[in-house]
Amino acid sequence: MIRQLIINNVLHRPIRTIVSVIAVGVEVALVILIVGLTSGLLQETAKRIEGIGADIMLQPPSSSMFLAFSGAPMPIKIADKLREMKYVQAVAPVLLQFSSSGSVDIVYGIDAQSFRDVSGGFVFLEGHDFQGPDDILLDDWAAKAKQVKAGDKFTLLEHDFHVAGIVEHGKGSRMFVPLATLQDLSGSRDKASVFFIKCTRPEHTQAVMDALKPVFPGYEIRPLKDFLSMMSSANLPGLDAFIDSMIALAVSIGFLVILLSMYTTVIERTRDIGVLKSIGASKGYIIRALLGESALICLIGIGVGIAMSYAGRAVFLDSFPTLSILITTDWIVRSAAIALAGGLLGASYPAWLASRKDAIEALSYD
Amino acid sequence: MEPIVVTENLWKMYRAGKVEVPALRGINFKVMPGEFVTVMGPSGCGKSTLLYVLGGLAQASKGHVLVDGNDLVTMNDAERTKLRRHKIGFVFQRFNLLPTLDARGNIAIAQHIYGESFDPHRFEVVTKMLGLGERLKHRPSELSGGEQQRVAIARAIINEPKIILADEPTGNLDTQNSEIVLSMLRQLNKELGQTIIMITHNPEAAAYSDRMVHMRDGQIVDGVPAH
Repeated sequence: MIRQLIINNVLHRPIRTIVSVIAVGVEVALVILIVGLTSGLLQETAKRIEGIGADIMLQPPSSSMFLAFSGAPMPIKIADKLREMKYVQAVAPVLLQFSSSGSVDIVYGIDAQSFRDVSGGFVFLEGHDFQGPDDILLDDWAAKAKQVKAGDKFTLLEHDFHVAGIVEHGKGSRMFVPLATLQDLSGSRDKASVFFIKCTRPEHTQAVMDALKPVFPGYEIRPLKDFLSMMSSANLPGLDAFIDSMIALAVSIGFLVILLSMYTTVIERTRDIGVLKSIGASKGYIIRALLGESALICLIGIGVGIAMSYAGRAVFLDSFPTLSILITTDWIVRSAAIALAGGLLGASYPAWLASRKDAIEALSYD
Repeated sequence: MEPIVVTENLWKMYRAGKVEVPALRGINFKVMPGEFVTVMGPSGCGKSTLLYVLGGLAQASKGHVLVDGNDLVTMNDAERTKLRRHKIGFVFQRFNLLPTLDARGNIAIAQHIYGESFDPHRFEVVTKMLGLGERLKHRPSELSGGEQQRVAIARAIINEPKIILADEPTGNLDTQNSEIVLSMLRQLNKELGQTIIMITHNPEAAAYSDRMVHMRDGQIVDGVPAH
């Protein structure tokens, strides 16, 4: 019977219910999309770096594993020293350059031959490899997002490049230019930001790392085998705080809307509360009825929010093809729990207020 | 036979700012099981307050209120709620049905709150007796005043309470519906031995009862047989 009362009450004011459901839906979608966007970008970046095929990454001291935040470049001569080491099969020096013209990108300045030696080479979907200093390679996602094809002109870092080829995504960056060109453009002659090292066999990774440590004290020497698991928000300073803030903001929206909605419900149903008390309903029964109403709104809102998340992802990916939004069951469940808890919390005060209403005053309420 | 309702020197004070206003002033009153009693008196004389105190909706300030042997004055809100759930049925002037439930739901919710599962037999007996069989799927807004009040009576008696407390049950009804409702209350009293305490302004309504009690200024001024 209480279920019937809850359902009928929810249906009694459809506009209020729809607004509350949308608010909870927005809350859920915000959480799922924000977390999905950050973890999607991290994972996708990690997969691309793993996709290079190197075993070890050498960076200057105090560099971040997030390559966009890497520190000062190193002398490129280090590559020669690395190549001389035991079990090292190939070394690819890469200069990284942050570009924010039009969109935020990390451009890889590569030496075509050494990068091919480490990565096994690009899979060309269009065009060909570098043939001149002004050639640029874009991966298929970047080409789609920037609407360019092989043979087009492309301006990057205030320099006109010629799109030599479109390559399959998954080899570190989305844009590659010749190392020397990027060194000139960024004023980093004979420098590299990172060295990707390919060992003769994957089992030799640890041995090579052990050998590198005394030669390059203080340098960041990371195996790429576990890179994916290391690329988490916890390892990026401030990202967890950002995600938490966004979740708090989303929860606040749901909490406040449910609080307001249930508060007005209690005011509107003052007489009904008096009636329930007159027929012997306990405080607990009244609280249960109102929390049940809030829970039902939240459950519908959660369903709407999940649908909004998938729809939002489709719209985002259509507009920004280089984005990656990872929607996981884990975060769907978490966002649902957060929304439900927020909704119940929001309804708690109005429910408590209702349970304490004076029955006689409630019965005479107009 | 022991009375089912006894009040002894019952006082109820309301606070208006810093002033305490007495609504009931030392009421002494008894109702026997199976009795149909009407309480009459001018507006503001304390009739409704007396009914609310007897039903446990308001706490008495002083004195004793015994309902089926339970002293409401010593009970807390939860205990009075429980007593109301099990022993008292209310019928109000404004019907006070839940607008989101249909007639069936409005009756069944009382059973649910009582803690019983839906009893189709009892439900059928009550709704048939009150002539509600065809109107059970209608919401209060789709029912006439008389039908709403009959639903309210059904809700009040569905759990077989010891006492029905009716607060001007015909106050919002036309003459014809008033007669129907009063006849039903009388029928409940006669056939089922239901104890009823009814407040009314209307002497014709009072004539349906066994005994009339008059109140003035928070006190009972006399009590006479209705016939």
